[in-house]
Amino acid sequence: MKNAVLSVGAEFPAFTKKAVVSIEKGKEFYEISSEEIKASGKWMVMFWWPKDFTFVCPTEIAEFNKHYQDFADRDAILIGASTDSEFVHLAWRNNHDDLRGLQFPMLADTSKSLAQELGILEAEEKIAYRATFVVDPQGTVRWTSVYDLSVGRNVKEVLRVMDALQSDELCPCNWQKGEATLKA
Amino acid sequence: MFATNTQDTALQLLQVVGLPGTEVPAKLAALAAADARYLKDLKINVSNALDAATLPKKDAYLIGLSVAINEKLPALQGGFEQLALAAGATDKEIADIVSCTSLMNANNVYYRFRHFVEKEFYTTAPAGIRMSIMANPVIGKELFELVSLVISALNGCQMCVTSHEEALLKHGTEQQRILDAVRLGAVIKSLGVLL
Repeated sequence: MKNAVLSVGAEFPAFTKKAVVSIEKGKEFYEISSEEIKASGKWMVMFWWPKDFTFVCPTEIAEFNKHYQDFADRDAILIGASTDSEFVHLAWRNNHDDLRGLQFPMLADTSKSLAQELGILEAEEKIAYRATFVVDPQGTVRWTSVYDLSVGRNVKEVLRVMDALQSDELCPCNWQKGEATLKA
Repeated sequence: MFATNTQDTALQLLQVVGLPGTEVPAKLAALAAADARYLKDLKINVSNALDAATLPKKDAYLIGLSVAINEKLPALQGGFEQLALAAGATDKEIADIVSCTSLMNANNVYYRFRHFVEKEFYTTAPAGIRMSIMANPVIGKELFELVSLVISALNGCQMCVTSHEEALLKHGTEQQRILDAVRLGAVIKSLGVLL
């Protein structure tokens, strides 16, 4: 089995998927599209987990949620995703103390089409690896990380990567001879 | 769907410097109300500077404390004091930071004068300022030097900056740690002007 994970420099695939955005009755679901994200002019951080209702996941998801504002401050839209359906996502959120207050959408890739295109489906169960994608406002993948099913992620590392990708030392004090002008 | 605002950014910024639940100071509130992009940068700068890998939490908060004292910001001083205590600092160590910051305020002025004028009499005459706390600081000589360097950088004494930097290198301090400490001092000062 050969896995070709979508990597740095590639265009992130177009998608339209249902997502759980709230546990409030009538406001649970929202259809997220890559088009709306592109139109917002923001970065996107999409992180995947294998299955709802399993153990490592809520800890990791809660950790991403804790840093929700840190992603927002870096002009990034944070999206969590798995191949579970939106109804499973909602049931899990309602069922788990750490997940009720989630501020980011839980995307339901029920058809597994997006996970397939990203190349992150595990062969046997067809569930997603713990993949994380950082996508710039132009829709280009700028960072990919893929962890095996049992390995948790370090959210601070994702923030560090974003800082490095967005690093913008524009101060003329660091202007070096020969440089034509500041790079904006 | 993906709109955000910077009100939470201001609150989180205050939280990372030990001022949770306090009223947002006017200048920060004005930035938040205007949804100013700079507020996000400032929050990221402050959190990242405090989180530098070469600065254990206690060191970072003690450096923050000394900057707050140097910049005469009592609320921020209280915030960093609480954070430092929670990170394991003792009252004696806090007192050392207070003393070091005060002493550097004398030295920065005095040695800057000698450095500006560069006349033999001034540089060879005995200093005439007692500095006995430098001999055996509770926070350890290395951290004492590091704090001295940060405060000297803030107060702009070239001679103090170059000598404390050299003293640190002799202690075996990594240049990255020196840079991280000075960055922390600079960034906390940039927050200070908005408090």
